[in-house]
Amino acid sequence: MKKLIVLAFVGILSIFQLSSKESEAFESTYKPSESGNIFIKDARILTGTGNEILRGNILISSNKIKAIGKEVVKPLDAKVINAEGKWITPGIIDIHSHMGVYPAPGLRSSSDGNESTSPITAHVWAEHSVWTQDPQMPLALKGGITTFHVLPGSANSIGGRGVTLKNIWSRTVQGMKFPGAPYTLKMACGENPKRVYGGRRNEPSTRMGNVAGYRKAWIRAQGYRNRLMEYESKSEEAKELEYAPSRDLELETLVGVLNGEILIQNHCYRGEEMSVMLDIAKEFNYKVTTFHHAIEAYKIADILAENGVCAAMWADWWGFKHEAFDMVWENAAIVDQANSATGCAIIHSDSAVGIQRLNQEAAKAMSAGNRAGYKIPASRAIQWITLNPAKALGIEDQTGSLEVGKMADVVIWDGNPFSVYSKTEKVFVDGVVLYDKYDPLTPKATDFELGIINSEEDRL
Amino acid sequence: MNIYKKIIISIFVLLFSSWSLSEELILKNAKIHTATEKGTLENTDILIRNGLIVRIGKNLNSSRAKVKDLSGKVVSPGLIATQSQLGIVEIELVPETRDDRSEIYSAGLSIDSAFNPSSTLIPYNLTGGVTLSLTTPSSSGLFSGLTSAFSLSGSLEGSLIRSNIALSANINGGEDSLAAKIQLLEDFLDLSKFVESKSTFDMDDYEFFMPSSANYSMRDLLAINKVANKEIPLIIKANRASDILTLINFAKKKDIDLIIDGAEEGWRVSKQLSKAGVPVILQPIDNIPNSFSELGSRLDNASLLHKSGVKILISSHETHNSYLSRQGAGIAVSYGLPWQEAFNGLTKNIAEVFKLSKRGSIKPGYIADIVVWSGDPLEVTTFVEQVYISGEIIPLKNRSMRLKDRYIGN
Repeated sequence: MKKLIVLAFVGILSIFQLSSKESEAFESTYKPSESGNIFIKDARILTGTGNEILRGNILISSNKIKAIGKEVVKPLDAKVINAEGKWITPGIIDIHSHMGVYPAPGLRSSSDGNESTSPITAHVWAEHSVWTQDPQMPLALKGGITTFHVLPGSANSIGGRGVTLKNIWSRTVQGMKFPGAPYTLKMACGENPKRVYGGRRNEPSTRMGNVAGYRKAWIRAQGYRNRLMEYESKSEEAKELEYAPSRDLELETLVGVLNGEILIQNHCYRGEEMSVMLDIAKEFNYKVTTFHHAIEAYKIADILAENGVCAAMWADWWGFKHEAFDMVWENAAIVDQANSATGCAIIHSDSAVGIQRLNQEAAKAMSAGNRAGYKIPASRAIQWITLNPAKALGIEDQTGSLEVGKMADVVIWDGNPFSVYSKTEKVFVDGVVLYDKYDPLTPKATDFELGIINSEEDRL
Repeated sequence: MNIYKKIIISIFVLLFSSWSLSEELILKNAKIHTATEKGTLENTDILIRNGLIVRIGKNLNSSRAKVKDLSGKVVSPGLIATQSQLGIVEIELVPETRDDRSEIYSAGLSIDSAFNPSSTLIPYNLTGGVTLSLTTPSSSGLFSGLTSAFSLSGSLEGSLIRSNIALSANINGGEDSLAAKIQLLEDFLDLSKFVESKSTFDMDDYEFFMPSSANYSMRDLLAINKVANKEIPLIIKANRASDILTLINFAKKKDIDLIIDGAEEGWRVSKQLSKAGVPVILQPIDNIPNSFSELGSRLDNASLLHKSGVKILISSHETHNSYLSRQGAGIAVSYGLPWQEAFNGLTKNIAEVFKLSKRGSIKPGYIADIVVWSGDPLEVTTFVEQVYISGEIIPLKNRSMRLKDRYIGN
């Protein structure tokens, strides 16, 4: 028995090695330019850790947050930004975006988000569809978005890998990839897969067909993992006598989930379906990180909190599908406050319009909750669009809050970010100002925008 | 007794009975956004009698009136939803819950008989501050059909306020050239006039007028004829600057009343829109260049159009959340549109453009469709606290609130 465990351990280790070799391809090449020392003073700061500093300073040094608080002193060589009367939040993170894979203009020729030719397409990667010159990205930057997570669409039960990107101008998608961010896997419950495939008289055409499809896929993944482990457990001599199991792109991704390296981002509206998905995760021993579009999360908020699963929600979208019929404005607040306020609520956009003002969406959800009797301060609600999505994307050690040592992803707002009238003034990504309200050359226009209004005028 | 005497007596009886049964209500000490030239009034009262606003002023009194103290509250006319499918759509992706489209009729589609006052969207949007909907079908052909105005009181009878008050058309989409669609519009207008000029009607006589692929019925022609005779306006969805100019010239040539819906590149032709007196229905929240016809889409479009004197109507363009037109208005304000103008765009301007008399403002003689807010109606953290339709308080309860009450605190 002991031997078996050791063998399994060795096997897992070598799988890690295998995957690290393979992951040299498509690695992030993003490197921010040097930020220098920047001293932002006298701002009202929502830190993203749950605190609010009524009047505080932030020191940025070499792309990182060097210090934050009331007592931080300006180094001699620092550039000073007076933020008196302004508000500061961490860079906003949208955990559900299709920018780049469903770019604007919305043309068939660049509509690359759904490989809707088969219900299980774990082998496709959203990053291989991303058009880096999507004009939606700089608009999101003006809305304070410093990091966004691009997912395949929801036509498929298992749609493929998602990718976490820094919101910067780049000629290559590798140049936007968030360094060290884990891969994710998009899964979809409910109406979309069954509509797409049922409409073609294929499986799945029902919710039970959806579930059977996921389970069959995980069984195949388990088999593949066993074959890999069995091969890796052999002696070097034995290995020489046979071929290694051939690579399988689809099953590699699924095995990545079973090994805990790839995070499940699961599109799922209904309470009972989310609960079924949690049982499938138990059956195959993996973890669901986040339920997206979780319209009915409020119905199972305690179950989500118990299982440590986040719910990513809209403030008020509803009615476009039957599974989106039971929306309540208090959804995020109920999820957040579940089990003695241990829930993980996230506000997401799934929209190039919504991504520009996640702050307002969080404001609506917060005030709905407070009107229903909760006492959720802005310092906590800001986590719905900063630290919580960072956690759900596995990047909370690098961004999502204003803490010493983290990336200097910082937004300066001209007023309370929980107001319809407030706008961003400066947006820093890794300490570099990529949007400045007073600099008309920011944000940097995409290639698409040059001379597109007429040969002299760029899109804004 | 002749008919006139009968009428006079019955009018007298009606007047007398309403006088004796008259109900009065005073809303006291509110901040009132009037959506009139008076703008916003602080700490002011409104006297309502028999569903109408009678007087606005300080320290109003009436021995017969019920009094509601609204100190610290904000009062405004109810919002008006435009280009919405309120009452004719329940769930977008469930066709059997939709009555907003037809392949049988085009211009002649009037949705009055399908309007469902018990739709869950109606109390929901009422809770968001909308008291009246300009409900518009959304067929995808050249013509979408006719708009009617409905009260959101939820009353099974009497929700229809005005029938068939505008015709909507689309010139984008599909494979056909925009030029062909403008020509087809012209042909339809001319044909409707031609038919009108004839004393006898035989459809066969007029077939030479139209391309063989253009399907139409007498009902469709009658609707188009109302536009041709300037009885109702034509609402056309258009965004590209050159398309907007084309339509301005087309409306002038055919002598019709035009409203542009969308107008995302309106800022490029704002002077021409202003000069032609063409109002625009905006969705100020949308700055995405969704197609090659809206590359110049931007958030200060509303502000730039207003500066040139264009009349602005604001819509959410999203039926389920029609009330979010107010968030769009707030965003337009943050990009330079004056607050009063933004608020008029949700109320007064819509009532004026669609000739909804005595609606859209808080003014003596106007119908008392009134919303009481917890704060600034354009602010995202503000909620509706009370709604009055024709002076009657409407309970704020909707299905979403029932679900919340069931699950909250679990």
